[in-house]
Amino acid sequence: MTRPRQRIIAGVCAGFAEHTGLSVTVVRSATLLLVLAGGSGALLYAWLWVTTPTETANPARFGAGELPKASLARPAPGYAGSSGSGSGSDSGSGLGGPADAAAERAAAAASSARSAPITEILLGLALLAAGLTLVASRLGADIPLAVVIPAIVVLSGTALAWRQFADIRGGSEQHSSALLVRALGALVLVAVGILLFFVTSDSPDGWTVVIASASVLLGVVVVIAPWLVRLSRDLADERAGRAREAERAEIAAHLHDSVLQTLALIQQKAGPQSDAARLARAQERELREWLFTGTGTGFGTGGGAGADGGGGAGSGVPDVDLPTALRRIGAELEADFPVQFDVVSAGASLGPAPDGLLAAAREAMLNAARHAGGPVSVYLETGATAVSLSVTDRGPGFRLDDVPDDRHGVRESVIGRMRRLGGSALVRPGPGGAGTEILLTLPTASAAPAVPDPAAPHPTNSTDFVMKTHLTGPIRAENPALSVESVRPDPVQPDEADADGSRS
Amino acid sequence: MSEPHAAPDPRPDLGTAPGTAAGLPVVIVDDHSIFRSGLRAELDADIRVLGEAATVDEAIELVVALQPRVVLLDVHLPGGRGGGGSEVIHDAAHRAPHTLFLALSVSDAADDVVRVIRAGARGYITKSSSGAEVSEAARRVAGGDAVFSPRLAGFVLDAFGAVAGETAETTEELDRLSAREQEVMRLIARGYTYKEVAGSLFISPKTVETHVSAVLRKLQLSSRYELTAWALERKLL
Repeated sequence: MTRPRQRIIAGVCAGFAEHTGLSVTVVRSATLLLVLAGGSGALLYAWLWVTTPTETANPARFGAGELPKASLARPAPGYAGSSGSGSGSDSGSGLGGPADAAAERAAAAASSARSAPITEILLGLALLAAGLTLVASRLGADIPLAVVIPAIVVLSGTALAWRQFADIRGGSEQHSSALLVRALGALVLVAVGILLFFVTSDSPDGWTVVIASASVLLGVVVVIAPWLVRLSRDLADERAGRAREAERAEIAAHLHDSVLQTLALIQQKAGPQSDAARLARAQERELREWLFTGTGTGFGTGGGAGADGGGGAGSGVPDVDLPTALRRIGAELEADFPVQFDVVSAGASLGPAPDGLLAAAREAMLNAARHAGGPVSVYLETGATAVSLSVTDRGPGFRLDDVPDDRHGVRESVIGRMRRLGGSALVRPGPGGAGTEILLTLPTASAAPAVPDPAAPHPTNSTDFVMKTHLTGPIRAENPALSVESVRPDPVQPDEADADGSRS
Repeated sequence: MSEPHAAPDPRPDLGTAPGTAAGLPVVIVDDHSIFRSGLRAELDADIRVLGEAATVDEAIELVVALQPRVVLLDVHLPGGRGGGGSEVIHDAAHRAPHTLFLALSVSDAADDVVRVIRAGARGYITKSSSGAEVSEAARRVAGGDAVFSPRLAGFVLDAFGAVAGETAETTEELDRLSAREQEVMRLIARGYTYKEVAGSLFISPKTVETHVSAVLRKLQLSSRYELTAWALERKLL
């Protein structure tokens, strides 16, 4: 049932007539009769007025099941018209009048369905009742204070509750504590009022108790309703938001994928050393960093992670994260030299990257960029006992006659630096004798003395190599010229002796 | 350039050495047509592209119809049930028993890698690889080997606890890598080719391939926590 816009007082009779199919005149006459016969018609009228929405005000989303919401969604224009014309006959609108203009202004300001002045109506009723009581008692009438005072309390409590609801609906940002206090106050008022009503009644009997209980429950429901409504609304909003977010993330993921593809293609087509390829590579790295930082734990495919979790997590970490620092160094060097760094890291890198190690790594990478160019692999492994880093290039490699000139940088800024840090560095020909491989090893400060890893030292040959270098590091580093060594200083047993060669 | 007599050709090719006269029959699955055509032009002459597909459904249909030896498969694909490349493997593999899948992706995200490998891909390389590299990887896969990019090798070392010093005690163990497998993975992570790995470890290239295949098998079958967690998170198990 809705109330039409064309109305005499509040459109209640017209709405009721339309809803039931009766003649408007009949309904109005009946209402008038009821008003005259003890005032029950006026109460019924007021109740319907409050609880019935205006015709066009409510979009379909306010279902029939949401009465409190629906009644409050009644827009201010409807209210303004109704109270303006109804001020003469309706008991509530007398005091509602002053709030009229304010409500109208508010309605003009906020196009959304601002709350109806239920608060004002209820407070007005309470005040009116109080005033009438006063006047009547002055005139000597026998006023049942036992009824009137609780009624006033109940009205005020309900008004407070509606007020709170109005704030929620209006979307005003309130501290939840303020809302809570108000709600609790309203609750207490309603409960006390309803209790008073019956406690003070002269002849308490079974029915009084039943009615009192029902009334208290009703009061609680009235006060809690706004919270419930808000909860369900928040839930729906959140669900819709999440769906939107997921959709957005999917689109973003697809878009990022396309961009990455295009950049990869440009690099392929343009030739590895060209400016276009370099530019594309830089762009790709930038996008990739944004997309995949903070996704080490495997959360999300690109877009989603980048959009929310990854972006936040990633922004704090990069300054301290060793792999990220290495990638940045790589990016810098790629801008200046025709080189492509491929940084691979294994193991969780905890804590800040040691400056010395980073500086030595940078020097090693710079060495590769300057003298070798092309693809350069950087592999970082953060183990339980040590951080090891290798920089492998495919360049011409060090020739002995280059040593005096070139090695100074490497000798001082790589080998010397690593030694001062307590680690070690080794320069040797790369795989198959081509290129150069620089291995840096730094024992983890905490792990070096403390953790006696059962599996350590690494039994593998390649790390064995690294670890041994680390152990004998200072000796080797004493004599950097020695660091050009045979491909494999550790004699390794041939294939047949391979411990697990029999497998599969 | 796809020859019309596509269907009968793959059969004799199966099981024989790849790169024979007829060329290695492959199908390219990628939703970006630019990338497909780019890759097609870049591939070596002995790689014969039978067809291209852009969506999950197209890919399944095409793979089942053409029965290529190798499918170059993008990880992220539209269509189907939203499962991307791994869905293609899932649905097409049993209907194309001799087809092998090589995942090709721009994504470095660990769960992408794990998902597609666990679905059954024989390798994973990034799309920035050159045409020659892709061709080589395709040949390698066709020969029954696994293909690991440095990044995937690094991830494997990480996921199997090799970095923390865990080593498999027996060869049957699925949840850890043997010492030799760790060595191989470390060198691959450093950018070594298989041949270079073999040279550095003084083992034959065939042995390197055996190790890599063993690691791939572990990656597919292991119930190790890290892998399982990723898989569970992505509802793969």
